Amino acid sequence: MPLRVTVASTLAIAALLFASARHATLAQVPQPGSISGHIKLTTRIRAPLPANAYPSRSIAKHDAPSTPEIRNVVVYVKDAQFRGVLPVSRVELHQQNETFAPHVLAITKGSTVEFPNDDPFFHNVFSFSSAASFNLGRYPRGQSKPQKFTKAGLVKVFCDIHSHMSASILVLDHPYFDIPSLEGVYEIANVPPGQYTIVGWHERVGERTAIVQVQPGRAASVDLTVPVEDAS
Amino acid sequence: MTAKRPPRLLVKTLSVTFVSVAMLLAGVFVVVVLSVRDQVRQTVTVSLESGQRIFAAIESRRERELRAQAATLAENPTLKATIDTYAAEVRTSDESRRSLLLNTMANELDKVAARVEADALILADEHQITLAASGRLADRWPRGRPVATAGAKPVEIADGVIRAGGLPFRVVSVPLQLNDVSIATLYLATHLDQRYADDLEKLANARTAIISDGLIVASTLPSSAARSEFEAAAESRQPRGVVTLDGQSYAFRRLVRIGTTSFYALGSIDELSRAATSKAIQELGAIATVAVVLALVASFWLARMITEPIGRLSASLAHAGNVHDARVALALTGSSRELDALTETFNALMASVATAEEQMQAAYTGSIRALAAALDARDPYTAGHSERVSVLSVAIARALGLAPDAIEVIRLGALLHDIGKIGVPDEVLLKPGQLTPAEFDIIKQHPVAGARILRSVPFLISHIPIVELHHERPDGRGYPYGLRGDDIPMAARIVHVADAYDAITSRRAYRAARPASDALRELWRCAGTEFHAEVVGALATALPGVTSERGELITEHVHA
Repeated sequence: MPLRVTVASTLAIAALLFASARHATLAQVPQPGSISGHIKLTTRIRAPLPANAYPSRSIAKHDAPSTPEIRNVVVYVKDAQFRGVLPVSRVELHQQNETFAPHVLAITKGSTVEFPNDDPFFHNVFSFSSAASFNLGRYPRGQSKPQKFTKAGLVKVFCDIHSHMSASILVLDHPYFDIPSLEGVYEIANVPPGQYTIVGWHERVGERTAIVQVQPGRAASVDLTVPVEDAS
Repeated sequence: MTAKRPPRLLVKTLSVTFVSVAMLLAGVFVVVVLSVRDQVRQTVTVSLESGQRIFAAIESRRERELRAQAATLAENPTLKATIDTYAAEVRTSDESRRSLLLNTMANELDKVAARVEADALILADEHQITLAASGRLADRWPRGRPVATAGAKPVEIADGVIRAGGLPFRVVSVPLQLNDVSIATLYLATHLDQRYADDLEKLANARTAIISDGLIVASTLPSSAARSEFEAAAESRQPRGVVTLDGQSYAFRRLVRIGTTSFYALGSIDELSRAATSKAIQELGAIATVAVVLALVASFWLARMITEPIGRLSASLAHAGNVHDARVALALTGSSRELDALTETFNALMASVATAEEQMQAAYTGSIRALAAALDARDPYTAGHSERVSVLSVAIARALGLAPDAIEVIRLGALLHDIGKIGVPDEVLLKPGQLTPAEFDIIKQHPVAGARILRSVPFLISHIPIVELHHERPDGRGYPYGLRGDDIPMAARIVHVADAYDAITSRRAYRAARPASDALRELWRCAGTEFHAEVVGALATALPGVTSERGELITEHVHA
């Protein structure tokens, strides 16, 4: 997964730079801790559809790599305050096989997303969201258009040619977030000590929150079940 | 005595024919009407059945097409983007932001609605709550309310019949999908109104009724009474049957049932059978008219075949009766063996009657001739006189060209002309000398006496004038009445001349017989006064045929 590598490396560099800078300037600031844990999805996301004589319009479905739903979950700290210069990144959100890949993206405010078209036909990228309202127009294979996100919030991205395509970009004003691994393991590093609300979010299923206490230099562990596990 | 004459054979035949044909036709009529009704019932049932099949086929196709249309509409990227964005932001964004998204959605839906034949297009979120609605009846789906409710609870629906704002709708739904996940549902709703029922009627080729939750929502039944009666009948939920609505018999069949809504097709048995029956009756009527006319003509002809020869026979019988001739043989009609046998039997009977009559007449004439001969025999000089006068008179009559009937009367009348002399005493009749006037008066009475005698025999009525008037003269000096000229019948004139001729040519006690030529001269001398001249002339003509060379009469035997 080149994307993941990109994001991870970007984040790692940013965190490193950020940590050393803080360490150098503000020696009295306590050592940060981290939050890690396991995310479990308990609801079937792809509910059986109502009987319909007509299949949806997407083509070459069998060719599209199906992203595991766990990779569409974003874990983030809800009420974190971040002081200083927010690290930004430049990530790619590909248009492949009539899907946006990845389907869910989390970025820091001010980051730029490139939308390269990998399909042998035109694609379009547009959004109505309040956090970012834009339309990059239609462009063919090989081209890519960037979009900078300057406002925190959820941005829903669509293609006006292929109505079944969509992506969610969660724009956050702090770097305390992660997308779980295929095994459901997440880790948020360099969190200043304190009490936080941590959120496991999925665009359709909803979110699950938990309170977490981060001790300096210690790793806190929170397992989340998204959404609330069924009582029965 | 006109009471109770039997009817004419013709009338009898015609009435028998007419009654039997009429009964036959009535029977056929009843059978036709019953069988037409039965057939119509079957036809209606069959047509409803095929109507149901056609409806099912068309309906499923229509639904497929509607769904295809809806599926295409559901791929609208703007709709999907607005719905998904709205869903993501509904809890966090402000009022103006929400209404912006909803307006975008509603605007797009309006454009979509313009391209589809539906009374309403409804966009509902994952929880079947109305996001937007468009179309003619969109106001039944206010934003934020469930698309369909059962009581107060929203119901999960895919396709079927729902009620919205009190109106029934047929709905077809398609999901709006993003990444294979359904984010919303698009409903195409068709109002189950009168137009829907009318369209259904065209499809099913029958009257239709749509019943939802036990109430008729639309129908093409002709009257409100029929509608409410069918509403009650449909409670039984029978899929098919026969029902009487507003006095009319209908066959019905359920076309389809969707939830608590049923679509029925109804065929009026009465309406159809009335049309079919009246057509059958019209045809039957034409056939009946022809049949009656044919039957009447045939029976008339048949009756004529029987009555006409009978009429002919009775006419010739009547004719035979009028001429009093029993010897007239009736002609065979040749129409039937029975009638000819009857005619022959009748002819044989009449022949034997005629023979008997002839024998009787022969017996009569024989006895009369015997009487006349006996009378002649009282006087030796007049022996054979009556016989000779008869022969002469017949000869004269023939010469005058009289009819055979008249000649026969003369033959017998001449034979009897002196029958009255039976009442003349011998001393007068046989007196050799000159008669005194008183004695001559007695002689003069013999014609009247003779007439009186004959009057008692009906058979001899026509001979009386000869006996009574054979001494009248054309100059009026004859006796007993002194008639003149043409008042004297021809038969009497002939016998008068023949009597005188025989008297002259016969020997008498006081003189010898004189020759025929003398007699003729004497008669010619008195022609016009004592005798009719034409009769004397006829005698002269006839004499050579009735006298021998010696001048004596050839007395032929008078026989009848």
